[in-house]
Amino acid sequence: MGENNTVGFNGDLVNNFDGKAFEDLYRRMYPTLKKYAIYLVKDVEEAQLILNDVFIAIWKNETRISNEKAYLFRAVKNASTNYHKVSRISFLHIEEEELPGIRDETADPAQLYLNKDRNRILYKLIDQMPERRRLVFYLYRIDGFSYKEIAALLDISVRTVEDHLARGFLFLQEKILKNESEFR
Amino acid sequence: MDQENWKFVIAYLAAKENNSGDVQEIERQEKKIQEWLSKDPGHQQELEQALWLWENTSVLPENEQWRESFSTIQASLIQEVPQKTIKFKFWLAAVAAIAAITLFSLFYKVQQPVLQQTSIAWITKSASSGKIINVILPDSTQIWLNSGSSISYPENLRHADLRTVRLKGEAFFKVKRDPAHPFVVYSLNIQTRVLGTSFNIRAWQGHQTEVTVLTGKVAVSRDSAGIQSAAIHLLPNQKAIANPAKLQLENVEDGRTATSWTEGKMVFDQLPVKEVFEALERKYAVKVIADQSFKDCKLTAKFNNVSLNEVLQTIQLSLDIHYTINKQTIYIKGGKCN
Repeated sequence: MGENNTVGFNGDLVNNFDGKAFEDLYRRMYPTLKKYAIYLVKDVEEAQLILNDVFIAIWKNETRISNEKAYLFRAVKNASTNYHKVSRISFLHIEEEELPGIRDETADPAQLYLNKDRNRILYKLIDQMPERRRLVFYLYRIDGFSYKEIAALLDISVRTVEDHLARGFLFLQEKILKNESEFR
Repeated sequence: MDQENWKFVIAYLAAKENNSGDVQEIERQEKKIQEWLSKDPGHQQELEQALWLWENTSVLPENEQWRESFSTIQASLIQEVPQKTIKFKFWLAAVAAIAAITLFSLFYKVQQPVLQQTSIAWITKSASSGKIINVILPDSTQIWLNSGSSISYPENLRHADLRTVRLKGEAFFKVKRDPAHPFVVYSLNIQTRVLGTSFNIRAWQGHQTEVTVLTGKVAVSRDSAGIQSAAIHLLPNQKAIANPAKLQLENVEDGRTATSWTEGKMVFDQLPVKEVFEALERKYAVKVIADQSFKDCKLTAKFNNVSLNEVLQTIQLSLDIHYTINKQTIYIKGGKCN
């Protein structure tokens, strides 16, 4: 939120992508957009293809985008809807815990304390959250979407978005701060 | 803190972070938080923990995973090229140009290694005495420049791999977040490197340099003749103090004190009187002439954007000085150090 709200809303980065600006857009959007695609299609490789197709399409068509973030998430959503229609296979329901993610490498609080890079530790913990909660966290904190926008992207209620976020923070607090009051 | 409490704490933190949000909303959230805080002394600590988590989750740790993924489409991007004649020509021209430049610069570098670096134009903005100015850099970084300070940045800042600026004097930075393009401030004898945070740098000629962090994370290293010391990492409410001998970290009660000057306030915390006078000279665009050096004499005081007279009267009481004002010059006589 806050600063993030304006990320990528420069307005001047519209149709005439140069290679550098395009790469930059990709780099900024990749972390959350990839998770979002996986969330929608429940298949890492398919998600990768969808993500890249969307990017190739904007490069080829020199699509005019005024709000690149909203556009890209919508495009991925549309593409994955089509994917379900085309493939007509009942996609695998992968349990959240089975999805690729970073395993618990930081279970030992002492280890946490030793590691100085708090930001990295926190994101390791965030990556351990159940898939949907993790995605809500990224969409909110990294990409600056509002509760309402997240609700629309994930087809869940605003209330649920709020719950996920609060539980996410609660999880972090319990995992880190309750054990490690000295962590600061 | 349970889930329901977290909800309004998040709403509060978000409202505060999003400065453009409406004032009434922020006030409403603040009132709610105050009520909650007053219910239990433990809540204060909970709020601090929340703020800590909030701030430390504001950026993603650097991660190069996207690169591998991007490389898979890079090939498709190039394959598309022949279909687009215009683009093809452009690319060809670009490649040729880059090759030419590379070749040229290879020769050039051999012959003129010094001139090579100075080819980028630098832009300088200054705040004269008595003025505080707000500068917005091409990458949307916001800078408040204190009286008598200046900031320089390269014309191509927005497209540079490393966003480099030079500071003389004191400034408060709100750096636009862009983890791939670190933001580096060179000032006096230190180098401050950040990704996207807010912090204050105080680098007045002849005094120790201080960097105080408000949000995010900042790395500070000493920079003498281009050689850098190991960096120290600062978190909110910590500051780095650099003098010619060493670089050290200190915790501060409230980092915001360091930026109170942006609102016209002056906060002196055990500041040498000499520096106090210098601060007055800059803020009120005056010259202070004292008949003694006030060596080893320190002052602690706080002024909320008041007139010069009021400041002088306060100093008169605490240091027992006499002062006369003649146009833009202040003459100071006598004075004792307590």
